[in-house]
Amino acid sequence: MAGKVRVGFYSLTGCAGDLLSILNIEDRLLEIFEKVELVEFVMASSNVKPGGVDIAFVEGSVTTEKDLKALKEIRAKCDRLVALGDCAVWGGVQASLTGLDPRELMKSVYGTEQNLYGFLGEHKPLSEVVKVDLELPGCPIEQEEFIKAFVSLLRGDLPEVKDYPVCIECKIREVPCLVVEKGEACLGPITVGGCKARCPYHGVPCIGCRGPIKDEANVAGELLMLMEKGWKPLDAINRMKLFAARYKDLAKLVGRG
Amino acid sequence: MRIVKLPKERFSELFEALKSWGEVHAPVKVGRFYSFKRVESLGEFTLSYTRTMIPPKKYFVKPFEDILKVHVEKGYEPIVEESKRIVLLGVHACDINALRILDGVYMDEIPDHYYASRRSNSMIVGVSCEPDEYCFCKSVGADYAWTGFDLFLHDIGDSYLIRVGGSKGESIVAELTGVVEEPTSIDYVKLRDYELKRSRMFRRSLNASYLPEVVDSLYGSELWAKYSDKCLGCGSCNLVCPTCRCYDVTESLDLNMVEGVRSRRWDSCFLRSHALVAGGLNFRPTRLDRFKHRYNCKSSIDQRTGMLFCVGCGRCTVFCPAGIDHLEVLNSIWGLR
Repeated sequence: MAGKVRVGFYSLTGCAGDLLSILNIEDRLLEIFEKVELVEFVMASSNVKPGGVDIAFVEGSVTTEKDLKALKEIRAKCDRLVALGDCAVWGGVQASLTGLDPRELMKSVYGTEQNLYGFLGEHKPLSEVVKVDLELPGCPIEQEEFIKAFVSLLRGDLPEVKDYPVCIECKIREVPCLVVEKGEACLGPITVGGCKARCPYHGVPCIGCRGPIKDEANVAGELLMLMEKGWKPLDAINRMKLFAARYKDLAKLVGRG
Repeated sequence: MRIVKLPKERFSELFEALKSWGEVHAPVKVGRFYSFKRVESLGEFTLSYTRTMIPPKKYFVKPFEDILKVHVEKGYEPIVEESKRIVLLGVHACDINALRILDGVYMDEIPDHYYASRRSNSMIVGVSCEPDEYCFCKSVGADYAWTGFDLFLHDIGDSYLIRVGGSKGESIVAELTGVVEEPTSIDYVKLRDYELKRSRMFRRSLNASYLPEVVDSLYGSELWAKYSDKCLGCGSCNLVCPTCRCYDVTESLDLNMVEGVRSRRWDSCFLRSHALVAGGLNFRPTRLDRFKHRYNCKSSIDQRTGMLFCVGCGRCTVFCPAGIDHLEVLNSIWGLR
């Protein structure tokens, strides 16, 4: 196996849906893995090899002390670190609880205020803890986007970082605008594209599962737009918080940060 | 250029003649608005419509397309599509004028062969229209098409007066011998009456004279921020604009690591990467910069046609999710009300 790029896949706190999405690329899975030396991918194989990796793909949020320790170890032994999916990029749906008292949360779920599993008190994206070289958003990730990124990384390159919102993909597919035509609470304008506007295409407003466009999304403008369409501010903010709670501008809107 | 008269009850014969020339695409109602789509029969479309969301440019620069095959050793090879003839039936004057602007951009010294071949395989059939509350084509001089069409249908009530704009149009009219008639002076009076009536229907206007200089001069106005704060930077205004012509190019390799494609996608000057250059410099880093840039671009003159880069179709206002009104912005910056 000498000379092959060493690759590891790791899971922190989340539903493991991103790694599952990779395993679901069934018809191309062998093509993907024949190109690399697979060092670790516990969901696919119990054969875990020792040593460092060239590329580490990490899904899940940094939620527990165990996550924190694991992530630091991964960062120390990899050359490039790729955050896979919304949990790793933004903290995931669980991060929408940011700001609530962790003891209250523990009590409501487990009936005790005791910290049962080393909960850090909040759910952080990888980039708040370590240096991240590439982020692939989505809940879960898009398989096509993963393949393109995988090929780029194997060539020592980085893929196109998408900076366009879902609106662009709606227009490309000529999907009637759910905001303009129906006044729906669509988060397309602030959400990073790459899904080919899957939900609006089927008439369902975007809930922002690919996360906000980093450093660009105008969440205050989105809030204003939704309020003008008759949405209550709290409902509009909660809708945005689902996947974007740790986006700095949204944190400001809800009084944190 | 000449003019003939087609009684409306014989419109189907024109439609059949167009269909025998190529695929006919016409405005079809989709949601609350319209879309140019392939049509086979008269009942599928309407010539009495406000506006399509996506302008006719989609036929010539596709929203997304693969343009080159890539091979890491052999290099690049153009992807040549099978050429097919397309008739765009029911194009408004503003959109025809926008195509004239795009023609200049894409078929200048170095023609874009994807655009040029599709354009030469197309026939443009214009139709007269009545403005709604968003149209301001008249104030930018785009409410009438002097050129840029093969046929232009002017509604005078029970008939169309058809201006014939070139050899393709002539070939269609030639097939309609015995169907089309010579117009009479009464028809021309009706045409003039229609024009006068239409002219009075415009409710919105833009002070287009001096606009390029004024907008450029007021680049530093603090009023821009009022609107750019509301702007979501989503790029919808660019994609629905009939004269926006920027595209982005990306390249990717397949899993075999040898073959791939180079693709292009309609771009927007509201996106971060639009003004991002090598070395990481972004010469329009903020939404305010990009907002002002777009208004400057739309308020400048296309040197080839002498027209403003805005044809007054109203799409950017209608399809802005944030409800930003193009005319309100310009009037407010200027200090007009």
